Amino acid sequence: MAPSAAETRTTDARSRLQLIVAGGVGLTAASPILRALLGTGAADAASKSEDLRILQLVLLLEYTQVALYERALNEASLTGELRDFAQIALGHERQHLAAVKQALGSKAGPKPRFEFGLKTKSADAFRETAIKLEDIAVAGYNGQATNLTKPTLAVAAEIVSVEARHAAWVRAIADEVAAPDPVDKPMTASEVAAGLREIGLRTS
Amino acid sequence: MTLLRLAAALAVVIAISLLWAGLGDSHRQKAEPSAAAYESLPTAPAPALRVGRPERLSSSRFSSRWTTVRRPTLARSRPSASASVVAELSTRAPEGTPNALSVIATRADAQGRVWVEVRLPVLPNGMRGWVPRHSLGAYQTLDTRLVVDRSALRATLYRDGKPIFAAPVGVGTSYWPTPAGRFIVRSELTRYASPFYGPVAFGTSARSAVLTDWPDGGFVGIHGTNEPELIPGRVSHGCVRMRNSDIVRLAELMPVGTPILIR
Amino acid sequence: MHEQRDFDRFLHAVDVDGAIAETSHQRQLVLSRRGLLAGALAGPGALLLGGSEARAASGLSANDVGILNYALVLEYLQASFYTEAERSGALSGKTAQAAQVVGATERAHVKAFQKLLGAKAVKRPLFDFQGVTEAQQAFLKTAVAFEDLAVAAYKGQAPKLQSNAVLAAAVGIHSVEARHAAWVRELFGVTPAVNAFDKPATKQSINHIVASTHFIVAHPKMKARSRPQYTG
Repeated sequence: MAPSAAETRTTDARSRLQLIVAGGVGLTAASPILRALLGTGAADAASKSEDLRILQLVLLLEYTQVALYERALNEASLTGELRDFAQIALGHERQHLAAVKQALGSKAGPKPRFEFGLKTKSADAFRETAIKLEDIAVAGYNGQATNLTKPTLAVAAEIVSVEARHAAWVRAIADEVAAPDPVDKPMTASEVAAGLREIGLRTS
Repeated sequence: MTLLRLAAALAVVIAISLLWAGLGDSHRQKAEPSAAAYESLPTAPAPALRVGRPERLSSSRFSSRWTTVRRPTLARSRPSASASVVAELSTRAPEGTPNALSVIATRADAQGRVWVEVRLPVLPNGMRGWVPRHSLGAYQTLDTRLVVDRSALRATLYRDGKPIFAAPVGVGTSYWPTPAGRFIVRSELTRYASPFYGPVAFGTSARSAVLTDWPDGGFVGIHGTNEPELIPGRVSHGCVRMRNSDIVRLAELMPVGTPILIR
Repeated sequence: MHEQRDFDRFLHAVDVDGAIAETSHQRQLVLSRRGLLAGALAGPGALLLGGSEARAASGLSANDVGILNYALVLEYLQASFYTEAERSGALSGKTAQAAQVVGATERAHVKAFQKLLGAKAVKRPLFDFQGVTEAQQAFLKTAVAFEDLAVAAYKGQAPKLQSNAVLAAAVGIHSVEARHAAWVRELFGVTPAVNAFDKPATKQSINHIVASTHFIVAHPKMKARSRPQYTG
């Protein structure tokens, strides 16, 4: 069966991330890739390794989102539009996670543990947490935009707007103003890590 | 295609191993990167654009809208295709400029079709009618308003409710009165070399009720004069006359589309 | 109507998931069926910025000035759209509230771009919205199209920016436009977030789409040299 347009797009994004991490763009000989890796200046090499460091954090972020939605769907007695949201958002986050995992390959960290406590036990608590987490995702991606190499930025841009849509959607469900600020402020990587820990990420 | 994919996959594996090997210990695989790894990532620079606080729209008490006729249309008594026709509207005013109309109201019918109520440049003065939205062009909003007081023989231009210009005027005699009512400045004519009208002449939608056989239908203008000594006074065939220095100043301040109240 | 066909083509072109074509009042899972921009590439819209205004403004490269002005036209479009809709009195309830908040944001965006670009900022075009600001359903339909368009446009340009400070600003606005997009989709009754990855759009395709709406019009020429025929 031919892949749907959505599936094709996902594959494109995943394989693009993969090739970016490898430093190459073409599907042909290995030498252009080697040249890209070894022949370029220190700044480029730093950027690519910086991409990897950032992707490690993105991995944790996406793991957290997947875990939150999975657990809430099991435990929070979600109904109606909130349930629809959780299901659709989970689908998206799983695709994000898969793309980042594939890009990192064997460098991808293991799946972390989570302790969400009451956050996934009720619809209200879940809703509040989802808003926080999606906002962290937006701020986190935005905060790294100027650190990423351009090809990785392009893919990150495709993800961050989806996180922003999630955030607005769940605010609308909560009857809050869906887009209260005229500009989204960035978060540093440390702030993102702290935010994820506060929500329930456990890495050790 | 498969061979290429294989080559690509191999290239990727080689590349990643090389990347890994080439970058040394600090990037050895860990369960999760240390806090130090995060802190060394540069903070985003200050954004070049500083977005201010969003503000709600201010009151539109003194603002008005005008538009132009985009295609010839029929104005009707009600916002419905079955209502009686009140006037025909063409795309050009007699002076050759786009036909400007004051917008009074808009309404969408049950099918979502939008109708617009406009002031009509027809006799009797003061007629209104409804036209389909697609027969009109872009809306433009203004906050200026011209008031012509026929008893005080004075014209005042207001901006956002405050008077910014005033001048004595000549108006129509009792035989050829300047009509009262709400109208629109619909054109600005210059360089036509006719001293009778002075250096600038504004066209309006106001019509003489008396000079109906006049060329172009007997529209009233606001213009300069070669007889300034008659101003102020009841001296014209309906037009509002100003001294030439006053009309030039008015032209600097009053855009076409400005609504006029003649009382 | 000729312009109705053009407008429908515009909606079709940005109708990522059939959401606009199939007005739905129920939540539904709508998967993307075709790319964001159905095919058509043509010359740049007549009144939009095709190349760039060249010279640097306050340390900005010509490249960045060009991109900023392109974004400014889209912000003008949105700000004018929401402002006219709010003033029309045709909106009610949550839709009216959204128009107020989103409009205020877009107006703030316009001011910020104008301030940064200074004399290099393109002038505000004249917009003829042909009634879509005057009926609630048409408004929502158009808002969905505009916001999705803005998201794709910013996304397409971000990697091309040369200044990191401009990039930092652009990403902070891009994600807000995405929140707007989800908001108006929710109000319209369609899925706020359809795909896991939102696609970028090229400047060319955006210019083409906007031009096809015919919303940007020339200022009518209200001055002339004809001889006055007034009653005198």
